Amino acid sequence: MTDIEHRVRARAATPPPRGGARAAGRGRPSRRARLGPKLGRLALFVLPGLLAYVLFVLIPIVMTAYYGFTNRNPFNPPTRWVGLRNYTELATDPEFLQSLGNTLVITVIVTLLANAGGLLIAMLLDRATALYLTLRGMFFTPVVLSSVVISVIWQAVLRDDGLLNSALRGLGVERPPGWLSDPGIALYSIAWIITWQMLGFCVVVYLAALQGVPRELQEAAAIDGCGPMARFRNVTWPMIAPALTINTVMLLITGFKAYDQIQVITNGGPGTGTTATMAFHVVQTAFNGNHVGYSSAMAMVMLLLVASVSVAVLRTLQRREVTR
Amino acid sequence: MRRSMIFCLVATLAATGCGVGAEPAAAPSAGGKVTLTFLVFETPNLDAKFWDAAIARASAKVPGVTIKKLVTPNVDRTGYAKQLDASGNLPDILQSVNPAGFAQAGKLAAFTGEELKNFIAPTAGAVDGKIYQLPYNTQVIPVIYYNKDAFAKAGITATPKTYKELLDVSAKLKAKGVTPFVVGGGGADTWADMYPLTGTIATDVYSKTPDWLTRRAAGSVAFKDADFTKAAQKVADLAEQGYIDPAGLSRSYADSEQAFRDAKGAMYPMGSWFATSADNTKPPFEIGAFPWPSDDGAPVTPTFTGGGTSVSAKAADVDLAKKWALAFDEDKENNDAFVKADGSIPAIKGYVPPSDMGPVYNATVAIYQQGMKDGSIVNAFSQETGDGSLPPGLADKAALAVQDLITGKKSAAEFSAYLDDQWTKATQ
Repeated sequence: MTDIEHRVRARAATPPPRGGARAAGRGRPSRRARLGPKLGRLALFVLPGLLAYVLFVLIPIVMTAYYGFTNRNPFNPPTRWVGLRNYTELATDPEFLQSLGNTLVITVIVTLLANAGGLLIAMLLDRATALYLTLRGMFFTPVVLSSVVISVIWQAVLRDDGLLNSALRGLGVERPPGWLSDPGIALYSIAWIITWQMLGFCVVVYLAALQGVPRELQEAAAIDGCGPMARFRNVTWPMIAPALTINTVMLLITGFKAYDQIQVITNGGPGTGTTATMAFHVVQTAFNGNHVGYSSAMAMVMLLLVASVSVAVLRTLQRREVTR
Repeated sequence: MRRSMIFCLVATLAATGCGVGAEPAAAPSAGGKVTLTFLVFETPNLDAKFWDAAIARASAKVPGVTIKKLVTPNVDRTGYAKQLDASGNLPDILQSVNPAGFAQAGKLAAFTGEELKNFIAPTAGAVDGKIYQLPYNTQVIPVIYYNKDAFAKAGITATPKTYKELLDVSAKLKAKGVTPFVVGGGGADTWADMYPLTGTIATDVYSKTPDWLTRRAAGSVAFKDADFTKAAQKVADLAEQGYIDPAGLSRSYADSEQAFRDAKGAMYPMGSWFATSADNTKPPFEIGAFPWPSDDGAPVTPTFTGGGTSVSAKAADVDLAKKWALAFDEDKENNDAFVKADGSIPAIKGYVPPSDMGPVYNATVAIYQQGMKDGSIVNAFSQETGDGSLPPGLADKAALAVQDLITGKKSAAEFSAYLDDQWTKATQ
């Protein structure tokens, strides 16, 4: 045992003085008093970040919540309080409901595919040779690229006379699918692009988790007669549960706030609302239609939805995590 | 500690204050000099070099003005201007920003009759009788540009004069394995799919009722009326018969232009700005141009006049800003540059385009001049500005709904009903 560990244990073993904290405070300065001179200096570091957070996150959220109860239209003043009217209209607005449905479809596909694909690829790449290290870097590249760049690339691939369909025609497919022009396919194309972009992130998180699984556990399971599948089910899968939690929450948030790809690749089409997500619909309603009040109500619904789903999923997944 | 906290607060406020509108976008300076912000948009034709030279020419004519150029992140300058306005940073001068909404909300300065004396159509795009955007150029929307080689190979010897002839031409082209129409609309360029509909509305609706949108605003007509629905049905029929390939809906504006150059279709209904692009980057075939034909062959020429600069009502010096805007839009060299780069047809009295313009531009101007001679000029649907225009956001909705018409997701009746519904929403 090191000297530090000795001291930590000794401090933990020391019983608190009689009379509790007040009595303890008599002997030596209180925690607050001890930290006092430091607090000012610490605030120097905390305050800019805190102020930026308040200015650019909290205040806009409060303002959005307020606008959600008004008919605010900067081009048609005055702004009036309308109570819950925006929210009741949202409940029956087919365009909003369609955007909600599209968002859910994208979120489910992205969360499932990127998780499954990420885990599979991570297991394949869980080796330490130079080739595998290079492959890891390649899989991570889309994560560091801008969504707009990725969208432009995929647009060139998926448009009707793009790379994919040219290849399919070369293989003899006379009428290849309209990946971006067919209203029945375009949403899934968008979901695929976001999945592709997030795959590298999942791979890295799963790889880190896989490398943290104790080798002795694997070996013990093997000695007990577990085959590869049983070892994965009983050892690896429970041990990488935290990675699943991180990836799932990140993918849920990414799916819920999908905007860039839609703006660049489909503009919400082909047709009315085919690929419009909630985030896209919020921006369109605010800046094209000028209905800032109504779009603020949408944004609040989106915020509450993302927050509640994320918290629920986080709690559920954290319950199955094991501690080492 | 308290002193540290106060210092910290002051320092942070000072730091953030620099970036959050502490400094006005344009501030007058001493000696009658002023710095004005000018919002422009860049395209392959209207690049940074073009704008810098144009700004320098106008500034030379208006002493005391220094222009700070702002560039939109994409061609949607109206959308970007709205975002800037929402943050209290509406530029002092705006290029080709649709004044709808801005004007009614008192955000733009009106030009006087005296200031507009050099313009051919000084009342174009008026809002309550006042002009908020200089009507500096006219565009014919759409013109049907066509591949002369494809026409000749299909045995077509003359351009169609009636809508039936247009259908016959389309049938002949299709029989030869050529897609009759190239229509775009992919990515953020959904607007690029509008032009067949703009054509049919001109011939079937606006030719009978030139002030149709003003009447729509008054509630005396509706999109679901027979004429409008018939115009929409024509587009749906073109798609259903395979004359418009839905594949084009994944092509951006630039890609659809390239598709026409690559002979992926024989006809390209597009705004007259395509003319100089066609002349400047010639495809391996000759391009001709004809107007969208009506049922009986009567000439109808849908046009938009406007598109110039606007001035913010809160500009640092509104009078100087207006003077500079007029100098910018009336400058002969600037207009020559707009003509050469963007195929504009300047609506400035006495203006004569450069003599070395190409054949496609000249053919386009001939269509416009014939329209003026015939008295067949009407508005171009979805391009209008001023009182008789679509409510904010509806042009974008219409462009998306046209995709539904082309893919068959909406019938003409459903399309019309959708627009009525969206009109109601937009004007609530």
